[in-house]
Amino acid sequence: MLEVEGVSAGYRGSDVVRDVSFHVDEGETVMIIGSNGAGKTTLFRAVCGLLPPSSGEVRFLGEDITGLPAQKVVRRGLAFVPAERHLFPQMTVEENLMLGAYPEKPDPDTLETVLELFPRLGERFRQLAGTMSGGEQQMLAVGRALMSQPRLLVLDEPTTGLAPIVARNAYAALERLREQGLTILVAEQQVPLALAVSDRGYVLENGAIGLAGTSAELASDPRVRSAYLGVV
Amino acid sequence: MTASILDGIVLGLQFGVLAAGLTLVYGLGGVLNLAYGQIAVVSGLVTLLTMEAGVPAVPAALIGLVAGGALGLIFDLTILQPVYRRHGEARVLLSLLLTLGAAFVIDGYLNWRYPLRGLNLRITGDPLVVFGVRMRMGSVVASGITIVVIGVLYWLFRYTRLGRAIRSVIQDEEGSRLVGIDPQLMMRLILVLSGVLAAIVAITRSMVAPVNVRAGFSLTVLGLIVTVVGGLGSIPGAFLAGLVLGIINSVASSYIGTFLSLIILLVAAAITIVIRPTGLLGVRE
Repeated sequence: MLEVEGVSAGYRGSDVVRDVSFHVDEGETVMIIGSNGAGKTTLFRAVCGLLPPSSGEVRFLGEDITGLPAQKVVRRGLAFVPAERHLFPQMTVEENLMLGAYPEKPDPDTLETVLELFPRLGERFRQLAGTMSGGEQQMLAVGRALMSQPRLLVLDEPTTGLAPIVARNAYAALERLREQGLTILVAEQQVPLALAVSDRGYVLENGAIGLAGTSAELASDPRVRSAYLGVV
Repeated sequence: MTASILDGIVLGLQFGVLAAGLTLVYGLGGVLNLAYGQIAVVSGLVTLLTMEAGVPAVPAALIGLVAGGALGLIFDLTILQPVYRRHGEARVLLSLLLTLGAAFVIDGYLNWRYPLRGLNLRITGDPLVVFGVRMRMGSVVASGITIVVIGVLYWLFRYTRLGRAIRSVIQDEEGSRLVGIDPQLMMRLILVLSGVLAAIVAITRSMVAPVNVRAGFSLTVLGLIVTVVGGLGSIPGAFLAGLVLGIINSVASSYIGTFLSLIILLVAAAITIVIRPTGLLGVRE
């Protein structure tokens, strides 16, 4: 579904990620793990069209989307939820969700699914997004992305700034989306949480893929265990 | 007193529309358009010339609105292109310089080609009594049009998908791209809207007093004062500040004198900014 080949990207001419290749197949949940500054965010920005890659190719649903601006990428079915969420703080939950469906009218069934997944959003429907807690804002960011009825949901560190219990709830929601058959790509530092819901994973180190494998393989790899799972 | 407050409200509504056109462009794209008043003047002049060609006032005014919108679009497609390639403070500065240049060019041309011309849409009819005050028909019609425009703007931004999309770009440009909105396209639409608003101000203003071809800079300055007092980028702020300053201006004119009203307006603006640096309803920074 998504093929990333030899992508390099960065800012002001210096590449943060170099020659990165990975792929996500239909129905899979794939994680990219890496520490702070490994280049996860840069890589995702390059994939979803917020940052044109300096070289390489991104293909989505068989079509070349390299360098396509983010507003066009999302209309093709690739929805991105950035770590900073980028909600519209002075708008209500309802308005944020409506905008998720832009330029179409919001689909009532999709809205119902989102509110079923996050009942909290229904309770806060008329509240301004900027006044909600971090966990609620994360729900809204995912909900807004789902309103575009994406084929692939890309999440950058969905647990940033969330308390451990809220982070676990966020992953419980992802698990449900996965069971409904949605294809998911997620970058995460909280590796134990992400490992539990994903099929495969890649380890990004200093801007390059260092390791790849199924979640079980990664979980038993001594390097992953010592660097990300806190097991010596 | 009632009479000058009522006059102030009439003026304030127009101030609000004037400032809304400036504040939207700033809020959306970080662009300050110093040729805004000139767009108003050119629209007024187009209306005047169309009427002189024998077209009745209402269709001529509509042509004036189209001219305002077209000028906004031309700005977007030409001198603002290099502005869009910069970000933050550099963008604001370059937009100031380039639009100021455009304002000088337009002003120079108008003064050379159409000196001393002005649009004066006299509206005849008996004065109307509002709250015990006799209002000239021109003021009543101008206020009616302005109130309808404000209502349309409110409906557009509150209830339509397009209005919501425009507000989303003001609040978080990257977020708007992630939901599929093209900020560049929204900016283009807003410049057209801003041009139309400038034209509406020129046309409604000319129902109360003539708008001559040299009014460009004073319209821009008035718009800027109202915008800053209301809070840069805030549409409700523009209308609130418009009403407050309109009433101050009109009360000061009748009790102190017209020659001092602009100074009093500036002092009122300065005091507001000192007390609330973000303006009445500003949210940024």
